[in-house]
Amino acid sequence: MHYRKQLAVVAVAAAVGLIATGCSGGGSSSSDPVKLTVWTGFTGGDAPGYEQIAKDFNASQKHITVTMTAEPWDTIQQKLPSAWMTGQGPDIAAPAPDPNVIAQYVKTKSVLPITLTGSGESKVNADDFAPALVKEFTYDKKLYAVPANYATLSLYYNKALFTAAGVTPPTTVAELKDAAKKLTKDGTYGLVLADNNTIQMWPVLQWLEGGDIVDSKNCSVLDSQKGQNSLKPWVDLVVNDKISPVGLTGAEADAIFSAGKAAMEINGPWAAPGYKKAGIDLGIIPVPLDSAGKPVTLGSTAPLAISSKSKHPQEAQQFLAYWTGKTAQKKFSLSTGFPSLRTDLADDPALKADPVVSVFSSQVPGSRLYLPQVPNATKVDSDAYVPLIGGLTRGTPVADGTQKASSTIDDLTGCSAK
Amino acid sequence: MTVLTKVREPQAGSRTGSGAEPRRRRRFRPTPALLFLAPSFLILGVFVLWPILVSFWYSLHDWTIGADDQPFVGFGNYLKLTQDPKFWGALLHTIEITVFSVVGIVILGLALALALVRDGLGNRIIRSAFFFPTVVSLTSIGLVWRFLLDPDIGLAGALTSALGWGNIGFLQSPALALPTIVFVNVWKNAGFVMIILIAGLKGIPAERYEAARLDGAGSWALLRYITLPALRPTLLFATLIMTIQSFQLFDLVYVMTGGGPLFSTDTLVTMLFREGFVNFQTGYAAAISWALFLVIVVISALQLRIFRYNDVD
Amino acid sequence: MSTDTLRRPTRTAAGRPARRPHTSSTLGAVSRWVFVGIGLVLALVPFLWMLSTSFRTERDLFGNPASLLPTEWTLHGYQGIWEQLPFLLLLFNTIVFAGVTTLLTLLFDSMAAYALARMDFRGRNLAFWLVLLTLMVPFQVTLIPVFVELFNLQWLNTYQGLIIPRATSAFGIFLFRQFFISIPRELDEAARIDGAGHFRIYWQVILPLAKPAIATVAVLNFTALWNDLLWPLVVTSSPEMRTLPAGLALFGGQHVTDHAVLMAGAVISLLPIAIAFFLAQRYFVAGVATTGLK
Repeated sequence: MHYRKQLAVVAVAAAVGLIATGCSGGGSSSSDPVKLTVWTGFTGGDAPGYEQIAKDFNASQKHITVTMTAEPWDTIQQKLPSAWMTGQGPDIAAPAPDPNVIAQYVKTKSVLPITLTGSGESKVNADDFAPALVKEFTYDKKLYAVPANYATLSLYYNKALFTAAGVTPPTTVAELKDAAKKLTKDGTYGLVLADNNTIQMWPVLQWLEGGDIVDSKNCSVLDSQKGQNSLKPWVDLVVNDKISPVGLTGAEADAIFSAGKAAMEINGPWAAPGYKKAGIDLGIIPVPLDSAGKPVTLGSTAPLAISSKSKHPQEAQQFLAYWTGKTAQKKFSLSTGFPSLRTDLADDPALKADPVVSVFSSQVPGSRLYLPQVPNATKVDSDAYVPLIGGLTRGTPVADGTQKASSTIDDLTGCSAK
Repeated sequence: MTVLTKVREPQAGSRTGSGAEPRRRRRFRPTPALLFLAPSFLILGVFVLWPILVSFWYSLHDWTIGADDQPFVGFGNYLKLTQDPKFWGALLHTIEITVFSVVGIVILGLALALALVRDGLGNRIIRSAFFFPTVVSLTSIGLVWRFLLDPDIGLAGALTSALGWGNIGFLQSPALALPTIVFVNVWKNAGFVMIILIAGLKGIPAERYEAARLDGAGSWALLRYITLPALRPTLLFATLIMTIQSFQLFDLVYVMTGGGPLFSTDTLVTMLFREGFVNFQTGYAAAISWALFLVIVVISALQLRIFRYNDVD
Repeated sequence: MSTDTLRRPTRTAAGRPARRPHTSSTLGAVSRWVFVGIGLVLALVPFLWMLSTSFRTERDLFGNPASLLPTEWTLHGYQGIWEQLPFLLLLFNTIVFAGVTTLLTLLFDSMAAYALARMDFRGRNLAFWLVLLTLMVPFQVTLIPVFVELFNLQWLNTYQGLIIPRATSAFGIFLFRQFFISIPRELDEAARIDGAGHFRIYWQVILPLAKPAIATVAVLNFTALWNDLLWPLVVTSSPEMRTLPAGLALFGGQHVTDHAVLMAGAVISLLPIAIAFFLAQRYFVAGVATTGLK
């Protein structure tokens, strides 16, 4: 086929080109360190934490030098596939903040299975990762990525607003709804919610009510009675009680909370420094217990994967082992407030003592991923879930909205059980 | 063809003023012309025209970058497009944004040009102020406007509250988001058209106005029968450029709304970005881009036609 | 826009306002000033806000959104950029990219426009249409094929890969052509009688008269290249070749927490453009070169 030939030409040209330019220390003496390149989208306030991992790794040994560069996520989305296809890409990359993208790269054989697993500092301790994460990145029984981080969402609240209204911080979902209502007055919102361009908050609300989005067969359960009942109370709160403005992006919701115009927001550890800088009297507590009395929250992670065309797969895996190792992770958590992606750090005293980290860490066991391993998850989000919430909060009846969303989802995930 | 020769109507000083040149110089000299065209055409050919053809090739396949198997689907992607309600929505929005933007930009640009054509120092400073939005980066200014339009913490919110309309979420409302984007697009480009039209205005000889005024023409008649016809080539140029630009508007929409809320500002370009780079459907995205390309070609050809047939003098 | 502004006495090129009845003129003048005034405010407020926010603390920004001026000043926005970015390197790369590419564009575009405006040859209309066609293609469309081409040419992460594909702009060709057409052919004829060939006519007759067009294309092109975020990021992969927008993009993100830094970056990025703009703007409206024929 004409196309295969073109691809073959490209591959040969790539090989010839790379050998001819002799880059990446390929033919140099063995005393030259191996150079690895890493691309991530971790810009903004998070960046120093990740850069520190690379710096510490370089300082800890002389055999590998890692250069980490950050670019906006949309740029990486546009560059990475071509870059990896032509062998011009980085050895390691975080392709997107959404863990489900790995499926696509696995399909096109762009990423390497990680085989350097086991125990000890020089191997990837997959057994010590939060199990949901390992499951998320495993396809065909092979591990194709490690988590670059793991964030859970907690409930941020504005202590000043709470005291002024005489409300105590909620510990159950019923109290949460009550508090949201009580604190919506005089131009402030009880619980500010984002529904697009954000780490999703609405799934948490559904889980608190005992509902979900898809079942284990990837069929939508939104239109079921349970699904509708998990949405209805919150939709009513937004539409009738106006606990939140409608149609906000994550950044906009954060801004409202930072301005002291919202009493609560469900958000991740990255938000804490910004809120403090804005002068908010900040309180952080775990997301309240769900309707069955169990803890639940959303966990979000970004995958870190190795290019199948990398010339140093062993060294790349060593770097990933370091990144997810105990030393680096502990330091990372303390500097960024992120909980650890490792279960064996849950009881670490230093982490437990940190006021921010401890709250997020305590929720790791009960945390769930958004649309884990659901086929076409990104499209399910953009074409079904986001418009669903957007419509419901603008007045679409729950039955109609969920029915439409369900048919879209079932088409996208190839659900055949219905 | 003749469409293009009409565009070249003289703005000032007639080409045939000093004795007609009946001999069409058909000196067939390909070499000098080739030399002059070569650098540009080489670059455009290699880095723009060829990639367009390659992308057409992609659009005929179920193309995913890096995959082993790229099955040929003929016009399957295009068929899929016609059945995709998002495509029709995106097409509609793209056309709406373009039409309203261009109308706004050209009318506003014309009004500003007429208001500021005299060359005083004050006018020159004011002109610069209006032209300035053209040079700022779309991503920065999109961000600034997004913030300004935020209902709770932006200046726009304060303004609408003061006017008694309450906090209006311009970018959060599916009904208002698109007009808001049109507004920002007009804001950004009106000054550019103003400058172009001022240059055009200055080329209109004073005698024409004098003659018409002696015949008793009022301001409105002067505008309609002298200014506008003389500006036609310039207006065509400005309209064409702004149309093409508005059709391709991406950064502004992406930064301000990302195509939302509820896909109400989803344009063909944001859709092709989403399909190509977020959903990895490169073949489908290529089909969308070719659909857009065809729309632009058709509309531009129409514009050239319309402006030619309005010939008065 | 009210029709009052259009009914306002039209100015002649000589600048003499026509005689008009007094009341209509005043109404016209007032509405003109109101119109221009409102427009001016709208045009400038976003920039003032950008500048002001680059000096504001987060607390101030959120606490007093309706205020245009800072009440709590800080320099941490600019400091942050200076400390966290290899600023001079980025500046250098951006100047090289935008500057060299613009110079090449001016040359190539004006040459092509000369051929399209002044030379008769078969396929001229086709050539013009091809140029127009390239204008109609959004960048996202050609991104992947161009990347593969650059890869095949081994031009990825090189200056030539960065510059050459952008060394011509269809918009520039279009604008130059429009301009050249309006330059009277008598001047060409005069030079031809003196024995000049096409290149001399181009270089010594047309170009010197084309200063407004040159200034316009130069500024618009330079600006577009200066602000271009995506292209340099696609072509380059090493941090040493990064341009300013790429560096500044690092401060943004899905959860922006520091607006002063972001706005400081936007201001810094805008400053050279603003300066270039103010220096060149007096050429923009210098008028078409036909004064000799009036």
